[in-house]
Formats: sequence, C-alpha cells, structure tokens
Amino acid sequence: MSRAVGRTARRVVESDVCIIGGGITAAMVAERLAERSGASITVVEAGERTAALEERSDTRARMLAYGENPWPNDHIRGQTGTGAMYNSMVLGGAAMHWGGAVPRFSPEDFRLRSLYGVASDWPISFDDIEPYFQEAEERIGVAGEQGPPDCDPRSKPYPMPPLPLSYSLERMREWTEKTDIPFWTQPWARNTEPYQGRNVCRRCDTCFVCPTGAKYTPDFAFDRLLADGRIDLVTRTLVRRLSLEPGSDRIAVAEAVDRDAPDEPVEFRAGTFVIAAGHAWSSHLLLHSANSRFPDGLANRTGNVGRYMTGHWYLSGFINLPLRLYPGMFVYNSLLSRRFASPGPLDRYVRHDLRLWESNVGRGPRLKGEDGQLLWGDEIMADWRARTESESTARVRAYYDLLPDRDSRLTLDPGKTNELGDPLPRIDYRPAQESIDLQDHTVETISGRFEELARAAGGSMRSIGRPSELWEHPGGGCRMGDDPATSVVDRWGRTHDHENLFVVGAPTIVSGGCANGTLTFCALSLMSAEEMQKELPSA
Amino acid sequence: MAESRRTFLKQSAATVAAVSLTGCAPEAAGATPVPLPAETLRAVADAVLPGELDEDGRERAVRAFERWSEALEPVAELSHPYLVPEIRYSGPDPRPGWVAQLEGLEKECESRHGVSLSDLAVSGRRELLARPVADTGPGLGVPQQADHVALALMAHFFGSAIATDLCYGRAIRRELCRSIEGAEDEPAPLGAAP
Repeated sequence: MSRAVGRTARRVVESDVCIIGGGITAAMVAERLAERSGASITVVEAGERTAALEERSDTRARMLAYGENPWPNDHIRGQTGTGAMYNSMVLGGAAMHWGGAVPRFSPEDFRLRSLYGVASDWPISFDDIEPYFQEAEERIGVAGEQGPPDCDPRSKPYPMPPLPLSYSLERMREWTEKTDIPFWTQPWARNTEPYQGRNVCRRCDTCFVCPTGAKYTPDFAFDRLLADGRIDLVTRTLVRRLSLEPGSDRIAVAEAVDRDAPDEPVEFRAGTFVIAAGHAWSSHLLLHSANSRFPDGLANRTGNVGRYMTGHWYLSGFINLPLRLYPGMFVYNSLLSRRFASPGPLDRYVRHDLRLWESNVGRGPRLKGEDGQLLWGDEIMADWRARTESESTARVRAYYDLLPDRDSRLTLDPGKTNELGDPLPRIDYRPAQESIDLQDHTVETISGRFEELARAAGGSMRSIGRPSELWEHPGGGCRMGDDPATSVVDRWGRTHDHENLFVVGAPTIVSGGCANGTLTFCALSLMSAEEMQKELPSA
Repeated sequence: MAESRRTFLKQSAATVAAVSLTGCAPEAAGATPVPLPAETLRAVADAVLPGELDEDGRERAVRAFERWSEALEPVAELSHPYLVPEIRYSGPDPRPGWVAQLEGLEKECESRHGVSLSDLAVSGRRELLARPVADTGPGLGVPQQADHVALALMAHFFGSAIATDLCYGRAIRRELCRSIEGAEDEPAPLGAAP
C-alpha cells in the first residue's frame, strides 16, 4: 500500500501506480487494476468532493429555481484555460455533470483512411476495442436498445433494458417509421433496474444533477474502492510536473502542491504513472514537465503533444409536426439513428448521426403576440394554447466528425498563469483542409435528411441552424499510433518516450467520431489498464 | 373545465406541500430581504396572471413567487455552460428594485387616479404596467433577470410546471421525479390524474 511519509518539509507518497486525475477514465483504470492486480494505487485529484448524493435534491431544486450550479466547489479558482474546455476540476470530473449518453464509436471511425481516404486510421480496430466497450458498459451500467446490427454491432446485450420512451417519443418514433431511416433509443448510463447498489431512474429530467443516483457518476466507483481499501485517494492536490529518474527516461516523481499547504511540496513516487486528466490537462501536464532532456515537454520527442485536438461539430434544426405532444414528461431521453455513421461506400465523404427530442421551441408562453401586441394573463394562456393544440416541435441534431489539423493545438499560454505562476492551457482548434473542403457538402447532406424527416410526417422545417463550431466531446493532444513520428502514445496508451508513463482516454483518440465520446474514452482506458496489469503484482 | 381546474389547483397546492416536505423546494440561502409590498403585488397579480386561475389560484401563485423571491441569492454561481471555462454569476439583487417599483406604482396610481392600485380596475392597472414592460419580450425570460416585478411575476408563473399543465389541460408534471413505468402513457386530463 502507499504510505505517506511525515508532514515535514516534503511529503512523499509511494505506490505501485499513481493515477493523476480523478474523473471517469481514472475510475475505470483504478477499478480494473484494483480488481485484477495486487498493485497499490494512489489517485491524485486537484479538486475535491462535490455535493454528495443526499445533497443533490437540494442543489437540483436551486438549479431549477435559479439556474445555480448544482455542483459546489467543482472548479479551482484561477485554474481556467482558454478555448473550449471543461472547467470541472473535482472528484468525478466532467462526468459529474454529464447527461450520460453512451453510444459507441462505429467500426468506420477506426478506419477512415482505409475506407474513405480521409484523416488517419487508428492503430486499433473496432474488433480490438469491442470487448472493452462491453466492459465499460458493464462497469458504468448502461441501459440500451439493440439497434440494427449493421449500425449497432455488439457481441453481448446491453447490461440493462432501455429507458422507456415517453408518450411524445413514442409518437415521434411512429413518425420516423414512415421514413427509411431506422431510429432506436439512445443508450444511457442510467439504471432501468437496480444496479451496483444504485437506484432506478425516476425521470426527474435534470440528468446534469441526478438526485436519485440512477445516473452513473465516477464518485460511486471511488467510494466503493475506498470502502474496500483498494485505493488511496489524495484530493485538493495539484500535480504540476513529472520528473525523470536520473539517467533514464522513466518517470520517477509527480511533483504536486497541496492546496491546503501550498508551501509544502508533495512527491508521488510510483512504478507506473497514469495521466487521466482529460483532453486539456493531460497535454498541459506533459508540456509543463519540460526539462533539459525533453525541452519541448515529456513524451514530445516528435513534437506531437498538444496536436490534433479533435471533437465534432453538429447541425441542428427544429421540425413542425402535425401532432399533439406533451413536452416535459421525459425530456432527457431521445431517439437515435446511426445509419449514416455507418453509411457503406460513399462517393464523397460525409458521416453523421441523427437524434430526435421533443421540444417546446416556438411553443412556450410569450409576452407579445405575432403582431407585437402586449399580452396579459388569459391572453398569454390563449396564445400559448393556440400554438400547442394541434402542432408540436421536434428537435433534430446531427453530430458530424470534423477531421483535425495537426495544428489544431493545445499550447501553454505564457500570458495566463494560475496562482502558482504556472502557464495555463490554451486550445486553438482547427479543422484539416480536407474537412473544410467537405463542409458545404456535409451541411447540404444533413439538411436534406432533416427535410426528408419533416416531410415524412406532413410536417415542415421550422429552422435549421448554422454548424455549431464547438468541438464537442473533445479529445486529442496525445493521439495514439504505431509510428512515434506521428503519435504520442501506442495503442495501449503507453507513451513512446517513457515506458512507465501512460495517457488514457480522451487525449489518445485519433479523430472525434460522430457520437458522444465518453464510452470510447472509458473503453480505451480499460485497454490501457490491461496492458499495465502485465507489469504489476498479481492479485 | 372549471371543475377540472379547481381539482388541479388543489392538487397543485398538495404537490407544493409535498415537495416542501421532501426537501425539493429551494431553501433560503442568504439574508432575509426586504419583503415585497404584499397588497400591491397582489394587485399586480390580478392584472397579469390568468383570470382562469381564480382568486385562490392567483394567491397560491403569488405566495410561490414570494417564497421564491425570499430564497433568491444574488451573485450566485450559475450552472456551467458546456465547454465554457469561464465561471458565470447571476446578477445583483433585483429585489430592492422590485420593492421600489411596487411603491412607485402605488404612488403613481394615487397621483393619476386617486385610488390605490388594488382599487383600480384591471384595465387601468394594465395601462400603468404597460409602459415599463412594453420594451421587453417577446419571450418572458427568467424571473431573476426581469427588469420589472410584473415581468418577474409573470415569468415565474408561466415558467412553472403548473402553468404548463394548465395550458395543455394535462397532468404533465414537468420535472417531477416519478417511476419510469408508465412513461409511454398519454398524460391524464387535469382532474382525472391521481
């Protein structure tokens, strides 16, 4: 087990494995290693605990009433980068806030160059990662509906039956059946049966803060591991840099600062180091750990750390449907189609998913009528009823993959430092030229499919937005590959430059796919953990 | 419809009580603010809330707004938008302004009409209220950002699950935690819901 040595000038914590970061991928690695090895494991988290389960009903109520953040202490003042990134720095990470959508990446995501001549192939195939998708689904607890096998390949059933559709979604599903596009239920990290001691979903419709514990959040896994004495958890401790063993490229120490005693450095010593700090802070730590042997940062001999930052954009629209729906009965469920993520041969590349939700856009209460006249009391109610009696709105969204440029990049920002004087990360996303060239074709194709959906039900497009230009579900910065010249880590997440240093999850992806990334990040982390196990004491 | 509505409003009151008991209602977070002038607020409510609520229903809506207002915390940290690293806070306390607006309405009503706001016909109250709210909309927005107390009251009521149910005539019961069983059922008409 790890041991803390004194609380004198320098505190030293030793273990077999040191995991830096306390989010969902850290939970996956810690849980697997705790079960399948005899290694001592320390998890270091810069943030602290946020609202416990029993507090979440109260924080939810204030979020609903006032829009307040339901997760107190979920970030560190001054530890804020520039560019699209999460500000969560808390035990459980961004997955405390998540909605819990857990689709898998498609087989095509791993072979874009071979199949379509764009971007890069991953060094692993769908078949390589499939068992880890399943394992991640079982660890998280995923409720899902099997889609058509050619769009939704899987070797075993989902761990739990799907969430039921609401009345509105049932009507919408009937509508989609008038098209050739198959839709099924989005898989969710929410329980439809009691699972791992957690409750069944009660469709509270505030999944960003689930007051029942039916949605998976990583704090549940950490609490189990702590209760079993399988990990040491050190919170409120920020790892600032990694340093090498003398005369070796192996990592010896993670140098950290205890936020409660900033003048007292903390050293984490371990045989294996795992960076599980998400898409921004993982590259940031490597770059900030530059030394005389690695002047551009650790794991960065070929200059690829911080590059190929990726994610996906989306196009969304609203459809007028000649149906009476009742928005608000189960907003956080949706219909999904991955037909166009697995499109077969293409003349010109475009891949995307499709999602449908009920919506009240254009059908809420309002202060002024169509003529701009002020409305009062009963007039507001009459105007509202007139817009909801026989028509409804459906929201449709398509995530499409955006292929990253090598200069889509995270760098250290010398102009913005934290309270310790360390430069903070800055992300400047940039699509590859081939993706820019495909943009109009992509938008036209997806818009056409939105319109096809609208027409099928005798409805009409209410609006189609502009591409989001927000790199959602981001990753990259330490991309995986067989060739060190073009990648930072190998297929197992082990850095090419340091045999005892792994980067796991989001930073290692090659491209962002057209689905929420969390399940894929978890599966990749479990693959990495399997490789780590080989060199650890057995259970 | 009238009977259904009465049943619905009674159920709504019971729901509010149950929610309070189970700790799902927001608790006051800061110092007690100066209360909103009760009589003038009710005179405003009669002019801006639906008449179909009837007197009891409007009173419940006003009390719900008062409780909400008392528990409002100025400059509170807001929910983080997706992938936005900056932390956002709500605005300064709107309640002193709302108190002043209600006091001002009373004074203006006395000056223009020689009666208190509650003694003025509803059409006259709306005339007084139209000027300060005319430049807003078309949406109702959220109450804590309302420039005027009448807007805040309207936004609070029309943004509620009770108002949604009244509009649709169905027990949708937005944001109420309940079993996933029966999710596919059409919501029951108001008055028929258990």
